[in-house]
Amino acid sequence: MDYVIQTIISALSFGSFYALGALGIGLLFSVLRLINFAHGDFITVGGFALIVPSSAVVATMAIGSFHPALLLVCIVAIVVLLALVSYFLVFQHVQNASPATMMIVSFALGYTLQNVIVMIYGGRPKAVNIFPELTGQVQLSDGVSVQILQLVIIAVTWVLLIALVLFLRRTQVGIQMRAAAEDFRMARMLGVNGKNVIALAFILSGGLAGIMTLLFVTQTGVLTFRMGVPIMLFFFIATVIGGMGSLVGAVVGGYSVGIVSVVLSAILPEELRGFRDACVFILVIIVLLARPQGLVLTKAAKERV
Amino acid sequence: MIEANTPLLRKVRYFWPLIVLCLGLLIIVAIVDSTGDIILAQTLVEGLVRIVIVVAIYMFVGNSGIISFGHIGFVLIGAYATAWQTCCPYTREMFMPGLPTYLLNNSHHFVLAIFLGGVLAAVVALIAGFAIMRLTGIAASIGTFAFMMVFYSAYLRWSTWTSGASSVIGLPTTTTPWVGYAYAVVTITAAFLFTRSKWGLALRSSRDDEVAAKASGVNVFGQRLLAFVISAFFCGMAGGLFGHFLGMLTVDSFYLGMTFITLSMLVVGGMQSLAGAVIGVVVISVVIDVLRRLETGIGGFSIPSSSAEVGVGLILLLILILRSSGITGNAEIYWPFKRDVSSEGALRRQS
Amino acid sequence: MLLDVDNITVHYGRLAALRGISVTVEEGEIVCVVGPNGAGKSTTLLAISGVLHPTDGAVTFDGKNIAGMSPEAVARAGISQVPEGRHVFTTLNVEENLRIGTRMRKDRAEIEKDYKRVLELFPVLAERRRQPAGKLSGGEQQMLVIGRALLTSPRIMTIDEPSLGLAPNLVDRVYEVLLELRRNRGLTLLIVEQSSERALKAADRLYVLRSGEIQLEGKAADLQDGKRVRQAYFGFEEGVTHEGEVDF
Repeated sequence: MDYVIQTIISALSFGSFYALGALGIGLLFSVLRLINFAHGDFITVGGFALIVPSSAVVATMAIGSFHPALLLVCIVAIVVLLALVSYFLVFQHVQNASPATMMIVSFALGYTLQNVIVMIYGGRPKAVNIFPELTGQVQLSDGVSVQILQLVIIAVTWVLLIALVLFLRRTQVGIQMRAAAEDFRMARMLGVNGKNVIALAFILSGGLAGIMTLLFVTQTGVLTFRMGVPIMLFFFIATVIGGMGSLVGAVVGGYSVGIVSVVLSAILPEELRGFRDACVFILVIIVLLARPQGLVLTKAAKERV
Repeated sequence: MIEANTPLLRKVRYFWPLIVLCLGLLIIVAIVDSTGDIILAQTLVEGLVRIVIVVAIYMFVGNSGIISFGHIGFVLIGAYATAWQTCCPYTREMFMPGLPTYLLNNSHHFVLAIFLGGVLAAVVALIAGFAIMRLTGIAASIGTFAFMMVFYSAYLRWSTWTSGASSVIGLPTTTTPWVGYAYAVVTITAAFLFTRSKWGLALRSSRDDEVAAKASGVNVFGQRLLAFVISAFFCGMAGGLFGHFLGMLTVDSFYLGMTFITLSMLVVGGMQSLAGAVIGVVVISVVIDVLRRLETGIGGFSIPSSSAEVGVGLILLLILILRSSGITGNAEIYWPFKRDVSSEGALRRQS
Repeated sequence: MLLDVDNITVHYGRLAALRGISVTVEEGEIVCVVGPNGAGKSTTLLAISGVLHPTDGAVTFDGKNIAGMSPEAVARAGISQVPEGRHVFTTLNVEENLRIGTRMRKDRAEIEKDYKRVLELFPVLAERRRQPAGKLSGGEQQMLVIGRALLTSPRIMTIDEPSLGLAPNLVDRVYEVLLELRRNRGLTLLIVEQSSERALKAADRLYVLRSGEIQLEGKAADLQDGKRVRQAYFGFEEGVTHEGEVDF
């Protein structure tokens, strides 16, 4: 029973993390038709911003030693800024290109960011320790203890989700964004400033990435220049499984992927555990075959053919 | 200028886009070969193998319009299949003890081995494609990506056949510049013929308007599957060539890095043209090589370490920003001389 | 002259969809552009609204050149477009749809009044204010997009095929509303139609567009017998078959 509860919490926390990532990608996709493969690298950049730029083996904290609130603000601001700069310097100039080209552009951007990090910080992994109090365990009931961080991840995710939903439903700007996501051209013909909407999507997506940086680095305690890549792959899959362009879908997809991978590691027999990822991806193909438009069908997707 | 319309000339004109590419590569190979520079020859062979991969990807991606993130999976399959047949006869059992007895005790000539590697990749493509090719658009891309991930993670764990996370060492290094050139020419020719075949045409019609293509009786699924299998075959062969170029294999080299660089080459060249596939490889390979050399230092001048990769990334971004449909603008290199009434220069947009 | 489309050419890639066409609209006028499928009617409107940019020629609105401006800038300048196929935001509710274009308006005080007037004009929208627009019927959606365009407080409204996909009685209703708006509020309208009969009934002036060129223009009153319009529309005399006619 304890094991079951721990597995459930762990699945929910992974799922929450993937859902946040999928949201960050889904926000951009909905207004720009861009699948941003650099999203994971935004998280990486946020992580390296914690420490003093140097290729020394031992990392020295810079922003990482700030007061937690200030630390949060700084890292989120840095990642938001990075997202905005990449819009104005890069994506803005290819926004009329084919989705494939945009995808490769985001790949190239991510590759560039990774190597800039190697150039400045060196290629070796660096140990960092932020919010150490979160990595401890908490006793839920007798015998059942879970990591505090897992609960924090779940809570943060839901706070952000509710905030995002309120923003999109209750504010004028949010409604404009939803309109632009559904029919970008029509929204512009009604005076909605396309550039501002896209910039806002980059800000939101970058903000999510900034918060995820902190959750992720607290969890792993290590910085590597490629750390954004594997998680990005799961975000990407979550976005597609959930349904491209649907924010509800992104959340559903994130939880599905998180839960399935945790559950698979829990139930697969020992000798097959190494093949967990292979199983996850086979499941992905099966889900796609059953529901090519994703688990949550959006109106826009329905109308495409 | 040139007498029009002799049968031979018509043929030359028809095959011109192909002839230009093969001759161009021939000149490059001949020049490099005559310099005797070993490092340059290495770069060249790597470039030729990449041409095989990228042109093979073009066969599928360019004609179907579906971005495939999965083709490096076929390169992986072909590479290991070839290694099972040719690698290190004396230590094969040490690296890959799980191989069946026949493979443990027999080696094939590398041409046959590479061919069989391609066949295995094609068979896998047929099976996987049977599911994945039912998808369209972005879902199909994810399907191919998931396929690649399945094989990558499986090969990584399947250590009795693949040596897992460590390397298989001791493949004969038979991929010389001329061998690479031969395979590149074969692949480019196949891609040219496929693109101009009725299958290629049917597939392109589905790329431009899937609904209309279906309405005109095109079996979109079948055409995609065919292209997928053919391109997987050439990717598989490229894997064999790659192993016989490096002399060793690791599963990790057939992953996102290679996927990214080959797709970038295709997109930078021009996703929907054969010339684009070849030119993209040449341009990016030259950029990479020049920057790597700068990093090691030329004449006392050098750039900081890993700035070569940064440079490659920035140049990619720059090309894509300035020319989002690629260097060739998705055009082929057509017959440059006057023909019939209209002539619009050497580069003409492909219909 | 409120809107002056002067000799514009628009390309899709290398294909010229419009070849030097000119259309003018005076303040308070209803002008119709009719033509067969693929004549370039929608292209004309998209070129006015800034979605497409002419490769040649000028578009002047109220004395200001607007060719090359972005769609949102054109909308802010006072041209509101109701494009072909309605384009309601299906996930937004009716009220959100109606209000989305009001954000760019400077006359805050007028917005509520206009909003009330639109709901009076289309009572069915008032009833379904809180429903997602995707749930409305085709006719209701057409009302919604007209109401939405009105709420941007435009100097001129352009409408692309208001009758598309609607039952005849609904089409009548749409035109009734449009004519009423002109009568009561002096709204200037540029309407694109496939049906020349419908256009002749509603318009003050008429342009016939075919193959990217203006074939005929004139006061609707002078064209009432319809023969010249049909000839311009189809490009041949009635009863004469004509081979090699290419529509693109």
